[in-house]
Amino acid sequence: MKTFFTLFFPVLFQFAFGQTRISGKVTDAKGEVLPGVNITIKDSYDGTSTNAEGKFDFTTMETGQRILLVSFVGYAPVELPIHLEGKPVDLTVSLKELINQLDAVVISAGSFTAGEENRRTILKAVDIATTAGATADIAGALNTLPGTQKVGESGRLFVRGGDSNETRTFIDGMAVFNAYGPSAPNTPSRGRFLPFMFKGTSFSTGGYSAEYGQALSSALVLNSKDKAEMNQTDIGLLTVGSDVAHTQSWDKGSWTGKIQYTNIRPYYHLINQRIDWVDPFVAMEGNTAYRQRVGKDGMVKFYGNFSQTNFSLYSPNVADPALTQLQLYAINNVYRYGNLSYKQSLGNRWSMRGGISYNYNLNSLKINGSPEGENEKGTHSKIVFENSVSDKVELKLGGEVISRNYAAWKQVENPQQVVEQSFTETISSSFAEVEAYASDHFVVRGGARAEYNSLNHQAGVDPRFSVAYKPAEKGQFSFAYGRFRESAKNQFVRENNALNSEMAEHFILNYQIITNNRTFRVETYYKKYYDLVKFQYHGLDTTFQNTGNGFARGVEFFWRDNQTLKDVDYWISYSFLDTKRDYVNFPYSAIPSFASRHNFSFVYKYFIHPIRSQIGLTYSYSSSRRYFNPNVQEFNSNKTPYYEDLSANVSYLPKNWLIFYVSCTNLLSRNNIFGYQYSSTPDANGVYASRPIQQPAKHFLFVGVFITISKNKTVNQLPNL
Amino acid sequence: MKRLLFFPFFLMLTIVALFAGDSKYIDSMQKHIHVLYTSKSNADLQQAVNSIERIANAEKTKWEPFYYVSFGYILMATRESEGSKKDPYLDLAAASLEKALALKKDDSEIVTLKGFVDMIRITVDPAVRGPQYSGLVELTYQKALSIKANNPRALALLAQMQLGTARFFNQIPTEACETANKALQLFAGDHSDNPLAPQWGKEMTENMVKNCH
Repeated sequence: MKTFFTLFFPVLFQFAFGQTRISGKVTDAKGEVLPGVNITIKDSYDGTSTNAEGKFDFTTMETGQRILLVSFVGYAPVELPIHLEGKPVDLTVSLKELINQLDAVVISAGSFTAGEENRRTILKAVDIATTAGATADIAGALNTLPGTQKVGESGRLFVRGGDSNETRTFIDGMAVFNAYGPSAPNTPSRGRFLPFMFKGTSFSTGGYSAEYGQALSSALVLNSKDKAEMNQTDIGLLTVGSDVAHTQSWDKGSWTGKIQYTNIRPYYHLINQRIDWVDPFVAMEGNTAYRQRVGKDGMVKFYGNFSQTNFSLYSPNVADPALTQLQLYAINNVYRYGNLSYKQSLGNRWSMRGGISYNYNLNSLKINGSPEGENEKGTHSKIVFENSVSDKVELKLGGEVISRNYAAWKQVENPQQVVEQSFTETISSSFAEVEAYASDHFVVRGGARAEYNSLNHQAGVDPRFSVAYKPAEKGQFSFAYGRFRESAKNQFVRENNALNSEMAEHFILNYQIITNNRTFRVETYYKKYYDLVKFQYHGLDTTFQNTGNGFARGVEFFWRDNQTLKDVDYWISYSFLDTKRDYVNFPYSAIPSFASRHNFSFVYKYFIHPIRSQIGLTYSYSSSRRYFNPNVQEFNSNKTPYYEDLSANVSYLPKNWLIFYVSCTNLLSRNNIFGYQYSSTPDANGVYASRPIQQPAKHFLFVGVFITISKNKTVNQLPNL
Repeated sequence: MKRLLFFPFFLMLTIVALFAGDSKYIDSMQKHIHVLYTSKSNADLQQAVNSIERIANAEKTKWEPFYYVSFGYILMATRESEGSKKDPYLDLAAASLEKALALKKDDSEIVTLKGFVDMIRITVDPAVRGPQYSGLVELTYQKALSIKANNPRALALLAQMQLGTARFFNQIPTEACETANKALQLFAGDHSDNPLAPQWGKEMTENMVKNCH
């Protein structure tokens, strides 16, 4: 009898308690029921799905301490420890929605992000390349966005009353020192980096993250493409040169190389130029990109660029009272940029990224045979650690060192000698930032950046703060504040090594609403400048001090719609700017010559399916700019006429691997005047002679043929254009 | 002696148990796969995907459950009309496929499904994702075909992709139709020893070929 009991009682016992009934209900955070949720006992077959009322009910033979897994698409999965001993288990589970990148609130004050495919962005990477009038120049396309002022003779980015040196370019987080190629005096320069290399562009017109320093007004953050997946060869034949590129891809990496040769001589014979070229612009440029996956989720990226540019031309000598004497201006520019970056997940919610960039720029000039020039070399190294404390809180810590050496020389007469000035500056910084989502509707980002400059022995801490609030499903408000510093321009620091950094403070308020294919955005800001460099004249001597200041304020509107009209995409930007500053040689606070009060752009793109062509139109308007006329008393009081441009482009795809491209600027044939150049010495009657600063040619016509050779016939260069 | 007799008996029992376990696995998989192939509503699909996911959860060494979870999520993504809601399904499909691929490296069927995920990603925003993904998708199907030349599903999806490209460029889809016809021939000889081998795609290709004439 005893044997019977000892043998069978446990079996009976198990039978009685072996089966456990598990039931309950699953809701979201608001208490709404969730049907179709997967309920599983981990590492077993047992489980069920919730019904239309969000309820579930099943029995299991599993016993003991187990884990119940509750998961559903779009929600964070939950693991619940349960004890199975035969007693029915009843549970109410609440699932938290994952932050949906497409719908969640984002910090939008001051920033335009292009190209990150999972976010609702205002501009896509391809938009930068296909904007008419921009001729595939990143700055050219960004100049159609609010917050920028068109400065036609420069081609650079001028943001919210800031000078062009106040915008800093970063590639994969690493600083670029000389982001624009060389250009003749008063002719527009192009960016050195082509838009096709980047998968994402973030253009911030203020209030940016503590990660980015040494920029007073704006940060242009470019993220290079990841590993290429296909082998292909691209050939481009253009009116101003040609290029060839090849991409080789393998399992864990890829390599791309591109050689580009530009020579405007043939073009210059066809289209009359206002520039008196001797040797027209010739440039040879090489780009290379190498990507290699390391281990499970590490990635090494290398990007390199070298270029060499030569040209010479005659330009009026400003020392001549009549401005009729010409001087020979010849330039040779050598540029190298290398950027090595590494990204790796460290586990335990930590990840790290770091890199080093090398910049080298040599400008050798000869003005009437007399040599002068400048040379800047530097490195930037950086390491950033990021921790996802939870899916709602992100922590970022980092450190960086920017070290650069600058030298300038000039040959002077009596006695004939070369005078050189140089300096070496090392800026060490560290930064910390936290971004926290209270919900899909509210996000806060706060941080600070500490910097120490070895040259002027100045240390400082700059706070950065942003917040965004989304009251309903669509539409959000965002506010940003930040303090920013940047070393004074090289030509001032070389005169006075003790110059402090120039400072700016931004206050930005933004409202943005993005529905499926329409965007509306309005932003207002106030920007305060202080410690700007100012000259003090003491007879023949000039001293440089940080006694300047200024402000900028404005309102900007942006509207984009690619829904209302079929196959049409257009955007409209308007910026109002009120700015004054007292800096450099200004006798008092005045409107700087690069600022225009009203800027307006209209960009239109239309895809015509039957003829497989896209046509683009861009209209730009800038109100008058100020210039200094030494013949009148008041400083910077004269005004230029307004600026206006209408550009068009057509891309035609006769075959999947072939593209024809034509673009032309200034279809209205307007003679835009950007300002006047005055002689530095008055003539016999005491009058300073002048000449207008104009576009180098009335139109810029660009024709290109792009051919792609790959195993795969559907690939073309459209994503690159 | 008794012991000696016992051993083969025990061995037989184990084999029977193993087969029984496997047939339970195959039976329940087939039941849910049938739902995937025939169901018209996302709610039913979700139920089936959940069930297969539970099997995947228990049978950690089998690639088929991960494959069909991925396939189910792709189907759900294709039925979602709002573009922004497709990505979460496709993310789950891609994640499950990675697990399948880890168990069975370079499998033609799994590689094909990878191309399918990216092909549906294009539909979220064709103007932007088209140039980025279309070449890659074709390359993925070609990789699947290089592993197994007579994989009808790889060829059928390649035909779909070619059709989409031809439509975009306003061309007559001659190439797409040729590919679809070839795929249809392959479907005729498509059988596998594995009772859980993928069998979908024939009907879709037949419909496409009908429209070719």
